Amino acid sequence: MSDVAISTRGLRKTYRTRRGRKVVAVHGLDLDVPTGGVHGFLGPNGSGKTTSIRMLLGLVRSDAGTMTVFGKTVPAQLPEVVGRVGAIVESPKFFPAFTGRKNLELLAEAIGAPRTRVSEVLEQTSLGERGNDRFRSYSLGMKQRLAIAATLLKQPDLLIFDEPTNGLDPAGIREIRETMRGLGDQGKTVLVSSHILAEVEQVADTVSIIGHGRLLAAGTVAEVIGGSTTPTVKVAIGNHETAARILTAAGMTVRTDGKYLLVEGAPDPADVTRRLAHQELYVSELVPVRADLESVFLELTEGEGL
Amino acid sequence: MIRLTKVELRRLTARRLTLIGVAGLFLITALLLVATWFDARPLSAAEQQQAERQFQLAHKDWVDNAAENRAQCEADWKTQPDPKPTVDDMCSYPEPKLEDFGKPPTVFAQVMPGLLQGSSYILAFAAFLIGAGFVGAEFSSGAIGNWLTFEPRRLRVYGSKLLAAATGFVPIAAVVLAIVLLGTFLIVDHPGDTAGTTRKTWGDLSAIGGRAVLTTALAAALGSVVGLLLRHTAAAIGLVMAYLVLAEGVFAAFLEKAQPWLVKVNFDAFVRHDAQYYVTQCKTGSDGSYVCDYVPKTLSFEHGAWYLAILAVLAIVLGGWVFHRRDVN
Repeated sequence: MSDVAISTRGLRKTYRTRRGRKVVAVHGLDLDVPTGGVHGFLGPNGSGKTTSIRMLLGLVRSDAGTMTVFGKTVPAQLPEVVGRVGAIVESPKFFPAFTGRKNLELLAEAIGAPRTRVSEVLEQTSLGERGNDRFRSYSLGMKQRLAIAATLLKQPDLLIFDEPTNGLDPAGIREIRETMRGLGDQGKTVLVSSHILAEVEQVADTVSIIGHGRLLAAGTVAEVIGGSTTPTVKVAIGNHETAARILTAAGMTVRTDGKYLLVEGAPDPADVTRRLAHQELYVSELVPVRADLESVFLELTEGEGL
Repeated sequence: MIRLTKVELRRLTARRLTLIGVAGLFLITALLLVATWFDARPLSAAEQQQAERQFQLAHKDWVDNAAENRAQCEADWKTQPDPKPTVDDMCSYPEPKLEDFGKPPTVFAQVMPGLLQGSSYILAFAAFLIGAGFVGAEFSSGAIGNWLTFEPRRLRVYGSKLLAAATGFVPIAAVVLAIVLLGTFLIVDHPGDTAGTTRKTWGDLSAIGGRAVLTTALAAALGSVVGLLLRHTAAAIGLVMAYLVLAEGVFAAFLEKAQPWLVKVNFDAFVRHDAQYYVTQCKTGSDGSYVCDYVPKTLSFEHGAWYLAILAVLAIVLGGWVFHRRDVN
């Protein structure tokens, strides 16, 4: 088995607006998704995530570049691997007047899966009792679970989830997250696109960050966050001026943020407390500031004119 | 492909619009038979007596005045300038007959081709709309994108949808037309006239029915193509209505000679095995008068068949090309 489930090189897609203006959605994207585990595909809205996924699935034609899925060139050889790929692109779309079960039965019949598989995946996604209700009566969370059930009909090796938690309540988000993590732990490759780093951070093993259709960073979550953002801690302390002078003298960058000091460049938060305590200044609160997509993205794009 | 077509057939038959449409077709068929029964039923005793009285009055008038009227007419004819009709055409006073009064009997062999043709319009219209909805709904709901992640070979997907729509309507059309044919025979047989219904009559009627089944299947497939191209059922309905009003109505009225290139006459020519249409021909007579006549023209079965076949091939190829290249969002 190839160690890369998905690979793209120089992938490009240009749309034409109704007024005839050209918009570059994907701008020479080079992407590698390793086989096995959960890979986060990150980028702000409009960065080309969904278009890239649609191109991989043969729904949208690329203008240039190459794509492979499990070593097969797509879209030309997509039929050879489509049985190994389950995908949910944006919101789940089924026939609204049919029941969830009927929708799955049609899909199962189309791929030659046994009808018993439909009951299995409905149970697997906790939809067994609502399987005979019409799709249009489902909540967003149930629709999302039905979409996952549909992908599982194939027993795929690669699952692609595009913004799977959009519109879900916290319980639904956790459920989807656990499902994705579970699939990754089973050795399946899960590609999850999102614009919320915190969400992906909890589930992904590796990530790729894109902006304006280009790859900006890729690697493990720790590598990307660590390599792209400066460690920052938020410090609550009585004497701002003295504390700031001490820390600045130690080579750190200090900014005031209301009643807190934001300290960047500390190799370890303990280094901050030790230096201040040494001068008999005692910290009442110290919080490491977690990087979010916004800050990572802004840093990555800084100076690139994006 | 066969598996996909079976799935599409299952989806077609499970759709509510299909079930409502087919129920509507059977309801219209029942109403058609009821109307046929009203047309074919004999006059009541009172109506019959009234007709006989009218006949006796007319016959008495003929006996009393026919010779005198004819003589007067011939005298008038002699004074008329040329061109003029023959004296027999102008001064014919045939003896009234009882069967000319009251209601003529309904003759099965005469009414049935028209009824089958009317049924073929209804079937084609329903098949087109249901076919358009069958595919249009997939695009408007976005389900086509999900479907293509299971079967990305677009031409197979396209072919299966068209094949399912067409084959799905074959049994429906066959049953509806069989009900119209046999129902009308049974209705007419009692009060009307089925005596002259020979084996050839049945053969001709069956051929019309068979061709109507074909046009229904074709309409379903074309409806699917239009649904795919416009991506919405309502848009497909709008297109049909616009065509009927603008092309078959306005355009045909102003440009009568273009009628052989419109759908309806070709449809009729194919279903009825030749069809007539009328064009206005005007000329100046020897007396200098300008006279216009409606002249019947015949459009051949072959013309209709080729026209429909080429139309179908062009539409299906266009739909396949668009679907093959179109981005699905």
